[in-house]
Amino acid sequence: MKGTYLGEFEEVVLLAVAILAGDAYGASITNEIEQQMGRSVNLGAVHAALHRLEEKGLLSSRLGGATAERGGRSKRFFTVTMAGTKALDNIREIRNRMWNAIPKPA
Amino acid sequence: MKAPIQPPKWAARLLHWFCAPHLVNELEGDLLELFAQRVRAYGIREARRRYVRDVVSLMQPFAMKEKREKYPQPALIQPAMIRNHFKIAFRNLAKHKMFSIINVLGLSAGMTACFLIALYVHFELTYDTFNQKADRIYRVAADIKTSSETLRYAISPWAMASNMQNDFPEVEAFVRVQKEETLIRKGDLKFIEENTVLADSTLFRVFDLKLLKGNPKTALVAPLSLVLTETAARKYFADADPVGQTLMLGDPSEPAQVTGVMQDPPANSQIKGDIFVSMSTYTAHQDKNIEREWGSFGAIAYVLLKPGTVATAMERKFPAFVQNHAGKMMAEQQMQISLSLEPLRDIYLHSTRPADESGNVDNLYIFSAVAFFIMVIACINFVNLTTARSVERAREVGMRKAVGAPKSALARQFITESALMCMIAFVLSMAIAAALLPFFNALAGKQVSKGIIHELPFVAMGLVIAALVGTTAGIYPAFVLSSFEPVKVLKGRFTTSIKGVMLRKGLVTVQFAISIVMIIATIVVYTQLDFMRSHELGFTKDQMLVVQAGTGRDRDAFKASILNFAGVRSAAASAAVPGSWTPQAYSKVENISGEMQAGNLDVYRVDFDFIRQYGLKVVAGRAFSKAYSTDSTQSLMINEATAKVLGYRSAGEAVGKKFEQWGRKGVIIGVVGDFHFKSLQENIKPLTFRITDFWNGNLLSVKIDGGDVKQTVSAIENQWKQANPDKPFIYYFLDEFYDRQYRADERFEALFLNFAALAIFISCLGLLGLASYSTIQRTKEIGVRKVMGASAASIVGLLSKDFLQLVGIAFVIAAPLSWFAMHRWLEGFAYKTDIRAWIFVAAGLLSTFVALATISFQSIRAALMNPVKSLRSE
Repeated sequence: MKGTYLGEFEEVVLLAVAILAGDAYGASITNEIEQQMGRSVNLGAVHAALHRLEEKGLLSSRLGGATAERGGRSKRFFTVTMAGTKALDNIREIRNRMWNAIPKPA
Repeated sequence: MKAPIQPPKWAARLLHWFCAPHLVNELEGDLLELFAQRVRAYGIREARRRYVRDVVSLMQPFAMKEKREKYPQPALIQPAMIRNHFKIAFRNLAKHKMFSIINVLGLSAGMTACFLIALYVHFELTYDTFNQKADRIYRVAADIKTSSETLRYAISPWAMASNMQNDFPEVEAFVRVQKEETLIRKGDLKFIEENTVLADSTLFRVFDLKLLKGNPKTALVAPLSLVLTETAARKYFADADPVGQTLMLGDPSEPAQVTGVMQDPPANSQIKGDIFVSMSTYTAHQDKNIEREWGSFGAIAYVLLKPGTVATAMERKFPAFVQNHAGKMMAEQQMQISLSLEPLRDIYLHSTRPADESGNVDNLYIFSAVAFFIMVIACINFVNLTTARSVERAREVGMRKAVGAPKSALARQFITESALMCMIAFVLSMAIAAALLPFFNALAGKQVSKGIIHELPFVAMGLVIAALVGTTAGIYPAFVLSSFEPVKVLKGRFTTSIKGVMLRKGLVTVQFAISIVMIIATIVVYTQLDFMRSHELGFTKDQMLVVQAGTGRDRDAFKASILNFAGVRSAAASAAVPGSWTPQAYSKVENISGEMQAGNLDVYRVDFDFIRQYGLKVVAGRAFSKAYSTDSTQSLMINEATAKVLGYRSAGEAVGKKFEQWGRKGVIIGVVGDFHFKSLQENIKPLTFRITDFWNGNLLSVKIDGGDVKQTVSAIENQWKQANPDKPFIYYFLDEFYDRQYRADERFEALFLNFAALAIFISCLGLLGLASYSTIQRTKEIGVRKVMGASAASIVGLLSKDFLQLVGIAFVIAAPLSWFAMHRWLEGFAYKTDIRAWIFVAAGLLSTFVALATISFQSIRAALMNPVKSLRSE
């Protein structure tokens, strides 16, 4: 199924949204990923991933409040949809199964 | 100085430039938030650097895409919608039949006029261009300078052709043509062929005249060879093959052989004729010395230059060339010949040298302007009528808008409608033009077009123009109509704007101004022609029959035989009559200072009865008389203009002075009062009279009684047939013949009259539409007025007043314009009428009357309407 396939970076972004739970928007997601992964990330890459995820139906968004720091510009908050949660679970399960399949050193 | 804590401005601007508007807000918010955090964490430089990097990284498709509309935009062109447009358009046309007819009629009338004029102008502009080598063909024209004047000839010396071919390597081919009237006989058939052309054998090398039968290289080489056009071949031989057949040529006649048949030359070719006779018939057979004569002029010479030859460079060699060959002759004769080259394509329209037919560039400009203005009038009509109908369409527009039609869709609808109307008008106009073409050809006096089938490129161009006009004329109404506000319109509180009304009135004024200019122009042209026809000419031209009666003793015998006929008063022979071509003779006449003044003077060769019969006044000396034996060889009469040229203060001084002319020497015996022997476009030129030689004077003028002209003419004809069974009887009446000089002007008048009538017609259609519109607008007002006691007459007056004002303004604009234009036109005539005030009064009254009549259609009906009807509904 093409629709549910997640790229590596998409997966990271989706996870970041899940971690931030309700306070996920462009800037916060970028910061979260930078902190978690310890490398700098481009805002463009993050937004492109968010856009794709939303198109796939794994994220939903709504416009929300602004801060002075943003020059009064509103934030777009992202939340993980049911489909998104399922996709994450799915990935995790596959990974777990694969980890389990690794033969233990005797 | 510390840089402000701000991201780079250019990057922000870049973001705004590429980013879709619905995303730019949140993205910039993210950018600014990250920037602020990074300034704190890494310092300003790093923050700015990262900011730029982020902006650049955002340049991705998702950020640039516009947000999708909630409701999808329909495709611009939808078959269903277009079908609907056409349906509504047809319904509208059918519902308002009167309007539609006026509109379509006006437009198609304008288109027809434009189409015909375009055909005519194209015809004139493409004269001789059917020759593929036209850009290399030149006419060699000669100027002859004598001590008194310069003669500008289209013809050139006979000896020039062979010499030019030998002396100039630039010349590829050389051809001379000369048009003549020749008697042709075949058995019992005999015709005076007016369009016989003597032509060199190189004719087919220079001009693209197509030979259907026969060899183009040899057809016109041998003397007494004939090439017939298809038309002439059919005339003499019907369907039989003419090549190899014999026709009797000339008088006395010689057998000539047909060596070829050619396609009829195009109507707009200078080289035109029915029968082409080999030039050698004349130069090697009839007059063997002529090819060596530099002093004899005849035949029009055309040269085909080799590619790359510069005409002006060749012209520079001409003086030496002429001097070399004709220097001695010119010195003896006290004259100077100079040659020049005229490009073939410029001759018809631009050359001022005498020619059988020549075009007039000014007329072309005038007609193009007329066509343009007629089209303008028709378009104005269209715009006016369409916008005037906006009231009726307003509710429709309101409904469409309320249902959701955008302005552009409405504009498209109205443009479709006007384009459709134009197409209908176009089809109609093509049908009218096709039907009118034969009449138009007759009016123009030329075969401008063989039929509309032959003019398909023009029809196609007309179609494009019609579509263009339809769209442009539709644009204004389309925007007016589509800009109505639905709320206002549907509430019924709708009034047309003052601006719209002003515009419409202005347009009507322009229309009428153009029409009035045309009326005035037509009247002036007419009065000028009338003036020329009725002007005192100085000779008798009524009841004068001119018969081609041959020369010498035959003619004298014929003259004597008809003199005792009942209806014949007198007869006189001459070589020329007023209105005909006159030869010019190199003459030397003693002037006031006693010198022999040389010059080329027009010559009338007449017999002893001519002066008396034509009623010419002898103002000094005496007329020719048989009582003096010297008169036929040693006497000359002159007109007053000649006496003036010679410097004599009174005509009497010239009598008894010496002259030399064409082999005669003697004295001037009398002076004749000036008379108009050429058209009134020219001033009276010097003219000399001498007694005929035995070989000329073939025109016999017969003065007949007014009683039974027909019987007298047939008696003369019978007499002719008895005396000359093998020659056709050719005659004409002098007054008709003389007036033929004004045929071009008469044509001009007729064309102008027609187009002026058309312009007025279209203007009236416009006025009619506008008047009916405004009366509908004022229906209630009229009802109220009637209830209050207004009479029908006062209401008609009220309705007419507005429009008469417009006609008045139009007149004020038109009068000076037309005065100026017609003043310029009249300057082309030596004898001209004045532009009198009554012409303007007449034009003003006429246009007022026509306008009133047009308006009254509507206004009287409105005034007589029962007010109960108009006031009841509300």
